[in-house]
Amino acid sequence: MINRVLLLAAIVGIIVFGVLPVGAEDEVKRAFTDHTEEFHKVWVHLLWDIGIIGGIFLILSIYFMFAYRRKRDDQIGNGPKFTTMGMILGWALIPSFIFMADDFYLSAQGWKLWIDQRTVPENAMEVEVTGQMWGWEFEYENGAISDNDEGLVVPEGRPVVLRMKSDDVVHSFFIPRYRIKEDLMPGRVTYLWFYPKDKGEHVFTCTEFCGTNHSEMWGKVKVVSQEEFDEWSEKNKG
Amino acid sequence: MAQSHVEHHWEYSYYPLILAAGIFFAVPLAFASMFQYENGLMAAIFAGIGVPLIVIGIAGWTAEGISDKQGQGYAVSGIPIFIVSEAMIFLCLFISYWMLRLSAPEWPPEGSPEIGVGLPIIMTFVLVASSFTYHFGEIKMEAEDGSGFIKWLIISMVLGTVFLLMTGYEYNHLLSQGFGWGTNAKSTAFYSITGFHASHVLVGLCIFLTVLIPAFAGNINQTFVKSAGIYWHFVDIVWFFVVSQIYLW
Amino acid sequence: MIKEWLFTTDHKRVGILYLVGSLAAFAVAGIVALLIRWELTGIGETIGGVGPDDYNFWLYFHGAAMILAFLIPGLTGFLANYLVPLMIGAHDVAFPRVNAFSVWLFWFAIVIALLSFVIPDPPDIMWTGYPPYSSEFSPGNTAFYVFTVHLIGFSSILGAVNFLCTVIYMRAPGMKWNQLNFFVWTILGAFVIQLIFVPVLASSVTLLLTDKYFGTAFFVPANGGDVLLYQNLFWFYSHPAVYVILLPAVGVMMEIISNMSKNPIFNYKAAVYGGVWGVVVLGSDVWVHHLYTSGLADWIRIGMMVTTLIISIPIGLLIISLVGTLFRGSIKYSTGMLYATSNLFLILVGGLTGIPLAMTSLTLHLAETYFVMAHFHFIMGIMATFAVFAGIYHWFPKMTGRMYSEKLGVIGFVLNFVGVNLTFWPLFYIGFLGMPRRYYDYAMFPEFEPFQVMATVGAIVVAVSMALNFYNWIVSAIFGEKAPENPWGSNSLEWTHCQSPPGPGNFPKLPKVSSKWHPHEYKPQVIEWV
Ligand code: HEA
Ligand code: HEA
Ligand code: CUA
Ligand SMILES: [Cu+2]
Repeated sequence: MINRVLLLAAIVGIIVFGVLPVGAEDEVKRAFTDHTEEFHKVWVHLLWDIGIIGGIFLILSIYFMFAYRRKRDDQIGNGPKFTTMGMILGWALIPSFIFMADDFYLSAQGWKLWIDQRTVPENAMEVEVTGQMWGWEFEYENGAISDNDEGLVVPEGRPVVLRMKSDDVVHSFFIPRYRIKEDLMPGRVTYLWFYPKDKGEHVFTCTEFCGTNHSEMWGKVKVVSQEEFDEWSEKNKG
Repeated sequence: MAQSHVEHHWEYSYYPLILAAGIFFAVPLAFASMFQYENGLMAAIFAGIGVPLIVIGIAGWTAEGISDKQGQGYAVSGIPIFIVSEAMIFLCLFISYWMLRLSAPEWPPEGSPEIGVGLPIIMTFVLVASSFTYHFGEIKMEAEDGSGFIKWLIISMVLGTVFLLMTGYEYNHLLSQGFGWGTNAKSTAFYSITGFHASHVLVGLCIFLTVLIPAFAGNINQTFVKSAGIYWHFVDIVWFFVVSQIYLW
Repeated sequence: MIKEWLFTTDHKRVGILYLVGSLAAFAVAGIVALLIRWELTGIGETIGGVGPDDYNFWLYFHGAAMILAFLIPGLTGFLANYLVPLMIGAHDVAFPRVNAFSVWLFWFAIVIALLSFVIPDPPDIMWTGYPPYSSEFSPGNTAFYVFTVHLIGFSSILGAVNFLCTVIYMRAPGMKWNQLNFFVWTILGAFVIQLIFVPVLASSVTLLLTDKYFGTAFFVPANGGDVLLYQNLFWFYSHPAVYVILLPAVGVMMEIISNMSKNPIFNYKAAVYGGVWGVVVLGSDVWVHHLYTSGLADWIRIGMMVTTLIISIPIGLLIISLVGTLFRGSIKYSTGMLYATSNLFLILVGGLTGIPLAMTSLTLHLAETYFVMAHFHFIMGIMATFAVFAGIYHWFPKMTGRMYSEKLGVIGFVLNFVGVNLTFWPLFYIGFLGMPRRYYDYAMFPEFEPFQVMATVGAIVVAVSMALNFYNWIVSAIFGEKAPENPWGSNSLEWTHCQSPPGPGNFPKLPKVSSKWHPHEYKPQVIEWV
């Protein structure tokens, strides 16, 4: 019995370890995609995944909770006895490998998306972001300057990369619409990129606690057409 | 583990509460008054309340502990467990040091004087010697030779004190060259690690003192002595890492 | 009488002192949570005269007190102290005086935390205390934060030494490792974590202290320091710390579920060696999942994504054992059992919402939003808290010798369960839409107002149920009717071998257990005395 269990466990393990890396292979050299769409896909997968796992355990527990209520006062439970090693290991290893397989599946999904999120497209427009207590400053390639009242103005249809640093404490730059955030701190430069493809205004906020007016450090990302952007950046130069 | 008969009354002891209260006044309150609110008078008052409580607490507790022969048997096992924790603190300090050092553009950073290796090597010998002398003391104790034990214990304490004096000398020398705690990353790491180690030597000496005083009255608690010894050897071993990482690297 | 309580070294009384202290911390921090909720119901200043600085201090206090002064002491202080020596058949812990010292250190830590309400410039650095804000810019009293952590930390380390020695050396004659109560195992696991990791926390906050008050340069980039050093050290402790909370909580659930369904634990050995010790081992190398957006190197974020996801394996084993123990059981519901079984739902919600957070790429969006906040309230603020309540109810007859009011208990439970779900589900939702944590105001998201209101209503329902619980405990402890000796028909030593409440020395004579005995076995069994 015990041998058979171990053999089964080994087979499952090999399959899990062997097959998964194949999926993540060709992702590295991808050109940029708009990672918010991929994000949505992974998110939906994940909801199904945890929904099913949670659902199974929940339905089982609720069923047991009703089905095995005590009938007589002196009644005692009649649960399975784990007397053989095979049973103990089987009930430990088989679920473990199933969980592990799911973990690796999720890892692979997350990894793929991560590469999209962290690979900056070559044609991206650079904006330097500086955080300080309690406001933002944006500096564009052509020297134009903006702040959180004015907003982070970007042209439609061209990826934007933010190079970020902080003058004082740790802040974090978050644009919910583009599903990205990263901390800013003194002594390091961090980056983020996103792809604004629809015109409009989207909130950005600070998401690392930075003192009294932490919740005032917000503004709008303003996605405008290329012409409007050119006009705006001329005006804000210097 | 045999536990003898059961006493049918509630056990109590005054000293844990007294000691905890002492720490409460002498450390957080005094510190915050002094450094956060810059009120020296308050700090002095809190320290004035706290320090006597701490002294009473420790003295009373050790007196109780030494005369209480029962239930102490676990101390020799407890100390090594406690030391795991202590070792983690040192590990943390070393990790901080490594991170600072390895991410620094140049090392030693500007403004660090040369730190000699001669003195630390002498200090190593002194500290190792004290571990041995303490061990001789333990052998005497097992042979029921009280005065022999006291003799070796005093020698160990003298060696420990010499070690501390040397640290003091070195600090004094470095400080006079303008190498203070906040000067740069190296000084921060240097004083934190050596200082934290020295504070352990100091604690060790205090523990020895609480062994020594009752020993004069012929009252030697074996488990207490052994536990103190384990602690002392640990402090000794940590010093090797301090020397190799701070002075020799 | 006063002498025997104030200066007691008896583990049961020390345990009660822990209970009183941690419930006091819970009540204050819970009332502060109500203030927080009230402030958040509307945009802008909702409570007249309350500005962001008050809010920040409240939130600091709420987080720090709930974790450091309520849950960790409630589980590893109160429950461990009261139950472990009884369960293993010992007269007391290995070092009773050290034990008393621990509880008083904890009490003085609470006093420091409460003093923050009256001192000028209270700490406002959140329970995470990130530099350089905490070490350079905050006007608040960072020292109080550091010393609260020091006192509680030192108290935990001493507790760890104490309990590890107790369980290793003081088990009743004949008691083998595989005959330990499950709760005892989880306490061992929790204390191993505390022993190893609390020192890390203590040193990291000490570095804050020296940076702030003595001008050292650990976190000052200009002088060669590094701000991320603190974050790494802090989470190197504080992630394992969540398992210090989770393990005993699961332990309590397991005890109660096994006892009330009169069923041996489903695959006890896998749950102990795979589940508990798996969590202890794996829990130590996942801390970077709190730093996914902190600017660390990409490879380490991906690496820790995999290790974090793998934590689901040992916890999954624990869940299988919990659910499996119900299988073919003989289940009777008491208030304690209701809390314990509802925890099966809460641990799934809380744990499974940890999974998206564990995936770096999703956390790029989710980090520091209300989604995180709802995740940890479900698993910690509710699940682990329910475990403490379950423990109080289940061992209430043991501690007081009296019975609580089952009717009030059930009403309290229902309200509590409804209330917490009402509070935290909307917060998941707005969290996913981007509501950031630690915000005094949310003028950028006016559309979230209805959800915030709903959460506040939920919190009020919780508060009502908590008042009922407190009332039930206090009144029943004094006036309740006498409880039977072994009301739940347990086979564990604390029920079978000592009176309720146990006297000094616990057992009239030391029990000696045979190799056939098991605490989670419900067939009639013979036990000898020494
Ligand atoms: C008791 C406390 C507790 C517990 C047990 C957990 C458990 C987990 N937590 Fe949580 N967490 C907190 C308390 C806790 N957490 C707190 C307080 C914070 C915020 C701190 C702050 O910033 O202030 C936090 C934050 C937090 C973050 C950081 C978010 C951020 O700030 O960006 C992450 C990211 O990975 C995370 C993940 C997890 C995971 C993966 C688990 C896992 O251990 C969960 C495992 C459980 C399950 C998965 C469910 C049961 C398992 C099965 C049914 C098996 C099958 C399942 C699968 C195969 C998926 N948590
Ligand atoms: C154990 C942990 C725990 C528990 C139980 C709770 C319980 C609650 N928490 Fe908390 N919470 C945290 C841990 C916990 N929390 C942490 C760690 C944070 C993060 C802090 C940070 O960001 O740094 C946080 C943050 C946090 C926020 C986020 C604020 C923000 O980010 O801006 C909010 C907001 O709604 C909140 C609400 C609540 C509510 C409504 C409850 C309710 O469930 C509370 C219910 C309890 C009561 C209402 C008590 C009532 C008691 C009585 C009435 C008894 C009567 C008294 C006597 C008879 C003496 N909590
Ligand atoms: Cu800047 Cu929060
Ligand atoms: Cu974590």
